[in-house]
Amino acid sequence: MAAKLTIIGSGPGGYVAAIRAAQQGTQVTIIEDDEVGGTCLNRGCIPTKTLIASAEALESTRRAADFGIEIPGEVGYNHAKILDRKNKVVETQVKGIRSLFRSWDIRLIEGRGVLHSAEAVRIVQKDGTTLDVKSDRVIIATGSRPARLPLFPFDGETVITSNEAVQLTSIPKSICIVGAGVIGCEFAFIYRTLGSDVTMVEMLPRVLSTEDEEMSGLIAREMKKAKIKIHAGVKIEAVEKTSDGIVRSRLSDGKEVSSEMVLVSIGRAMNTEEIGLEGAGVKKGKRGEIAVNEKMETSVPGIYAIGDVTGTVMLAHVASHQGLVAVENALGGDAAMDYAVIPSGIFTMPEVGSVGLREHEAVEKGIAVNVGRFPFRGLAKAHAMGSITGMAKVISDHTTDKVLGVHICGPHATDLVHEGALAISTGTTARELGRMIHAHPTLAEAVMEAAEDTHGMAIYVPRPSS
Amino acid sequence: MNPDDIKYHRDHSWVRVEGKKATIGITDYAQQQLGDIVYVDLPEVETEADADSELSEIESTKATSPILSPVSGVVGEVNEDLADSPEIINEDPYGNGWLMVLDMSDPSELNDLMSKSEYEAYLKEVEEK
Repeated sequence: MAAKLTIIGSGPGGYVAAIRAAQQGTQVTIIEDDEVGGTCLNRGCIPTKTLIASAEALESTRRAADFGIEIPGEVGYNHAKILDRKNKVVETQVKGIRSLFRSWDIRLIEGRGVLHSAEAVRIVQKDGTTLDVKSDRVIIATGSRPARLPLFPFDGETVITSNEAVQLTSIPKSICIVGAGVIGCEFAFIYRTLGSDVTMVEMLPRVLSTEDEEMSGLIAREMKKAKIKIHAGVKIEAVEKTSDGIVRSRLSDGKEVSSEMVLVSIGRAMNTEEIGLEGAGVKKGKRGEIAVNEKMETSVPGIYAIGDVTGTVMLAHVASHQGLVAVENALGGDAAMDYAVIPSGIFTMPEVGSVGLREHEAVEKGIAVNVGRFPFRGLAKAHAMGSITGMAKVISDHTTDKVLGVHICGPHATDLVHEGALAISTGTTARELGRMIHAHPTLAEAVMEAAEDTHGMAIYVPRPSS
Repeated sequence: MNPDDIKYHRDHSWVRVEGKKATIGITDYAQQQLGDIVYVDLPEVETEADADSELSEIESTKATSPILSPVSGVVGEVNEDLADSPEIINEDPYGNGWLMVLDMSDPSELNDLMSKSEYEAYLKEVEEK
């Protein structure tokens, strides 16, 4: 008889787990109290990439004259149509997931799931009635939400989080973005391209502090070019809404930022409240996350947790892989999550794609490395395309020559980085990466040249002057 | 091409002095080597600059090059026109292509710089390498 699995949450963690389990003949029930697809599909990854596509289309059109294209009149945009497109893209994806559920006979119950034990989940459905679902195993995939500090007078209109930012019906004349991490930086470029006066406030000394320092530096430079103001190494001390529709944010260095809107993107809080964890005996970690081991097991046998709610690596693709590991273990297998190679894509303008060791991490860990760099402006293809900003950077082990990290800032960086991910996961050396034939003329040649540069052998780099 | 009334730094920048104010730019040789300039990263007014340390970065279609400050001082003014038209540097490196004005902290540093003839001799050496 097929095992029964209940999954609470249908984001990229939950829905991947559901489909994988159903593929193996499991009877799956998935519970969702908002919309299928979770944050990624409805408020995160997909909406933002869709808005970015509109921003990039606008930017390309503005530069059309550079390419010999003549557009009569001024280039503008219709925000309602941009939002409409975003909604349509999201809707299609949501319908797609629902349809996958139906095709695999995955029972979708819409309501709030509360854990009772590894065998039982109680759901309060949208019509108010309760439903008890019995199963053999449970996977908790309830995700995360934008973190809020009491310091900020959130009202969903002038002081907002990313949830509202993807639904704005008009672009504010000015916006202060608190937190220059991935989310803040992506929104900075979207709003700036659509005409907003953007100021960023970041507590840490640089933007995109999780990235290699050179990548942060390149994005900070591009922000400066785009006239996005950055206050780094400062905190917000007070936020005041005034009667003339302006929000005044006072910084710890005494400066003040006035803007029509404030977007707070300082991190995400895990959704662990009111889902029955305490009653079921599921232990939480120091930051309030559901504690899991590498098998995605919680402290209660038969109950697993995956995705943002575990506070491990808060990325959709990590949630999905954790889902695959959890399902394998829930069905009697023996899998473990490996966090060694996790590429990440940042959709700033230009993009950043990164995987593996950052250069400053090599220094901190005392790992002797070779570093190779290649600027896109050294590539004929980049010039042909008219996108010459940025560079590819390869970090390799000085002793073994194995590739340890690849960081790319520039056109299509989020796709190009995957060659680096493959190199790291297969133990490929920088020499092997550099000697593999890369088609000409492609942007991928930048990765090849950066790998060759780790040995000072890049072709399109002038001889260094003595 | 190289004017007489300015002093030259070995890193191919120039200084034109008026009292304690030093207007700084890059030489014709530098703009030729760089090619079409697409962006100039200028420091904020009131930034402190040290002689021989990086003051600015110029991006051209060929490369991104740091510009070393020929003298020490405080940035008093930057050329705002370069934001929209960085190509002015290619067109008029000694005139409208000026980068910034520093309030000098140690005018004696000017003695370490080259005159026009010294710079032109220096350029011959550089090109022969």
